[in-house]
Amino acid sequence: MNALRRHRALTRIWASDPGWKGWFTTVNHTDLGRMFLFVAVFFFVIGGILAMLIRAQLATPRSAFVGPDIYNQIFTMHGTIMMFLFAIPLFEGLAVYLLPKILGTRDLAFPRLTAYGFWCYVFGGSLLIVSLLAGIAPDSGWFMYPPLSSRIASPGINTDFWLLGITFVEISAICASVEITVTVLRYRAPGMSLPRMPIFAWYALVTAVMILTGFPPLILGSILLELERAFGMPFFQVEHGGDSLLWQHLFWLFGHPEVYIIFLPAAGVVSMILPVMARTTLLGYGWIVAAAVTLGVLSFGLWVHHMFTTGIPHMGLAFFSAASTLVAVPTGVQIFAWIGTIWKGSPQLKLPMMWILAFFATFVIGGLTGVMVAVVPFDWQVHDTHFIVAHLHYVLVGGFVFPMLAALYYWMPHATGRKRFFKLGETAFWLISIGFHVTFLAVHWVGLLGQRRRIHTYDEGQGWEVINLVASVGGFVTAVGFALVIVDVALNAAVAIRGSRDPWQAGTLEWAMPTPPPAYNFASLPLIESRNPLYDDPDLPVCLVRGEGYLGDPSRGRRETLTLEVASGKPAYVVIFPTNTALPILMAFVTGGIFVGMLLKLYWLVPLAALGVAAIVVRWVWSLGSKRDEGPLEVGRGLTLPLASEAADPPGWWGSLFLLLANATLFGSLLFGYAFLWTVAPNWPPPNYLEPGLVGPALVLGGTALSMAGIRLARWKLRCGGGPWLGLLLSVVGAVGTGMAAGTLLLRTSFDAHAYSATIWVIGGYVLFHAGLVGGMITFLTLRAAAGYVAGRRVGEARIVQLWIDYTAAVALLGLGVAWLPGVLT
Amino acid sequence: MKDILRISVPLTVWLAAFSAVYGLEGLVCSHRWAEAGLSLAAGRGILLAAWALAVALQTMLLLVLRSPRFASPSGFARSVSLTLAGVALVATAWTLLPVAATSLCL
Ligand code: HEM
Ligand SMILES: [Cu+2]
Repeated sequence: MNALRRHRALTRIWASDPGWKGWFTTVNHTDLGRMFLFVAVFFFVIGGILAMLIRAQLATPRSAFVGPDIYNQIFTMHGTIMMFLFAIPLFEGLAVYLLPKILGTRDLAFPRLTAYGFWCYVFGGSLLIVSLLAGIAPDSGWFMYPPLSSRIASPGINTDFWLLGITFVEISAICASVEITVTVLRYRAPGMSLPRMPIFAWYALVTAVMILTGFPPLILGSILLELERAFGMPFFQVEHGGDSLLWQHLFWLFGHPEVYIIFLPAAGVVSMILPVMARTTLLGYGWIVAAAVTLGVLSFGLWVHHMFTTGIPHMGLAFFSAASTLVAVPTGVQIFAWIGTIWKGSPQLKLPMMWILAFFATFVIGGLTGVMVAVVPFDWQVHDTHFIVAHLHYVLVGGFVFPMLAALYYWMPHATGRKRFFKLGETAFWLISIGFHVTFLAVHWVGLLGQRRRIHTYDEGQGWEVINLVASVGGFVTAVGFALVIVDVALNAAVAIRGSRDPWQAGTLEWAMPTPPPAYNFASLPLIESRNPLYDDPDLPVCLVRGEGYLGDPSRGRRETLTLEVASGKPAYVVIFPTNTALPILMAFVTGGIFVGMLLKLYWLVPLAALGVAAIVVRWVWSLGSKRDEGPLEVGRGLTLPLASEAADPPGWWGSLFLLLANATLFGSLLFGYAFLWTVAPNWPPPNYLEPGLVGPALVLGGTALSMAGIRLARWKLRCGGGPWLGLLLSVVGAVGTGMAAGTLLLRTSFDAHAYSATIWVIGGYVLFHAGLVGGMITFLTLRAAAGYVAGRRVGEARIVQLWIDYTAAVALLGLGVAWLPGVLT
Repeated sequence: MKDILRISVPLTVWLAAFSAVYGLEGLVCSHRWAEAGLSLAAGRGILLAAWALAVALQTMLLLVLRSPRFASPSGFARSVSLTLAGVALVATAWTLLPVAATSLCL
């Protein structure tokens, strides 16, 4: 088969549906990556317009441009959009587009999940934009502190839009992170062991794990606050045993990692582009990996530095001050590795490099103001002033937006296949970087002079007028620069001349494919022997197109790719990807019913939509797998591998593992909240504690034991070729028992009496939900076994269900245990 | 997967110890501590002990990751995991230093 015929055959297999329909049914990562990026930029434009409105309002004292109510909506939505609808999704889009290409594979681990996440993002984001257009947007600041955001102070629907819209959008972050984690760990080109991964993959891995552990506290916080607002469960109301500081803990437990979730991908981009621009290889790869992991973990121990002024004892503050100063060290390690890389090479001042230099200058300043505010007495002076606003913009714009502009100009030739012709980008560079510094140097200054953040106006005579005017002028210059970038990109994407395949002479795999990239990425998968395969073998692209790598034979007519063992890079099994489908968008739409039902208080819609989602999930999962063992398959170059569906740890098992990591963090945050209230909330103890009695504990002990034993029995039977029925029956009975035990909690407490009983309700509800979930899973597994999908070597699904059963048993024992504990002790 | 664990465990232990000591300090300073009839001096003693324990644990992890039995076969994973174990040790000693250096519940 020649290269052209192979290309045609592979395109037939991998292409999205033609025409407009393709937008809604595509599961291809290149398409979805582009869609993610496009939508994120769209939200960036909206956020940018809001920023201009803020600067217009603050340009002069006693401005009558907008009143306080509108102003509150504007700055809240500016922050919310930039953090949740722009920065995180832009990273997701970049990773979705890029990861399979730099890792040398054909798609992400769960293509339909990518699509589902994307549509959740679009629908959730639209919800927020609708509120903005209707003039009922959230208005309590992007961190939504209660009591300001509680029902008493914010009776309108504004806050609900935030809590529900953002949670909806976060589904997409969780989906993307599961996807990224499993892809980086298992879906790489053969031979790509951990130290041979392109550095961006490490950053993406760390970032994705951080999202999995950083977002759940906020999701929990949003759920609790929404429950308080909708049903009066008083988690944050002091007079009923709650504590508004609990929100701040949950929010910043998410919020601080969040800022590194934004910064790390940018650092990854810099580490990819800089060596190419300096015509050399990255200095200190291992150190950079270590620094990225260190930053990722340390950033979970900093959250209280956002709460230095809340009256926490000095020792507590000192812990977090010490940890905050410490993060400057790994940041410094990266910066020095980058400087060393420039030193060792011969840098060329092309546009991506210019943006990287702008990043250096700006981010270092932002890091230094960060260390300043990490020192408690200094922070007491500047907290909640414009100095903080300036710090966060230096690190976010300097540390994220500038590197992303470098990425844009670096990978644009890849996405479009064209050579940049119109040079508006250079002009835009100067407008943005000068405009930005004019604006935010001034904002630092006015902050030190005492201007509070989030004030809608100020009086004359405090020495702030000129500074604010200068800041506003700088802001508009910056905006013109960004507009120019968009025009530049549009022009170059539409009409520039065709470019060469590897315009920067880079060594990583994304440049080993034709550009713009074909739907299948690689006609055959390479064997990797170093970190820069294209430097070892400049002819690699030709060999791949000729089908000399793995899986170069499209004759089986299905979407196939390879997975590896995590560390060594040895090929493990063949995965067959699903084809184009509208299920993801449909499921995202139905998922939206849950959120809209809560928002509009149409509570009947919520369970209905949840049932709909469950039905779609069944349909979705049913289509996987096969009714017979295929045995080992020929994958080219003399290698044979088994199918994923015949492996003990199929991709779904890995996906479940990381989803459960996020889930466990959510549960852990819930227990933290319970312990926090128990120790420090003023109006404790509650009137009375729940007594465990005998029935509940007996049910939960028996139920969990039964379900765990049952699934093991079923698996054992399957291994011996027998029927799993008895085991599955026992296991489902066990799940029912566990659910009933959780039900006793709900029956014996009232949800709105006290923060204690409200918490008990949430714990009980959580366990009940999981018992129901695994009950459903076991039933599903039974049907699958009856239909012949689970037999022989194809028992991976049973292992997935076992993972969920074990998790449910653990949270049931732990959750119900701590729920009953105070009652036992007193 | 084992290499991923070698790389991630030391700092995760730091995070756990750090959060636990912060939580413990919260408990010592809460009314529950006084109600249980315990003094602040006892609280300080326990915090110091927790700090020492955490440092000891990190030192042990560092040694374990160097030992032939548990060290990674891959040179890359070995050097990254040892670096991170060192970082975790320093982080534990430094971030929990306040238990000895500042006022307790002010
Ligand atoms: C050396 C590193 C850094 C240190 C020590 C640091 C420290 C701090 C501190 C103590 C605050 C709270 C100040 C206050 O509210 O009184 C703060 C705020 C903030 N920082 Fe940083 N920071 C660092 C890097 C970063 C990075 C890399 C980002 C983002 C990419 C970032 C984003 C933010 C944001 C968004 C806020 C304000 C949140 C808000 O109040 O709305 N910081 N930083
Ligand atoms: Cu922070």
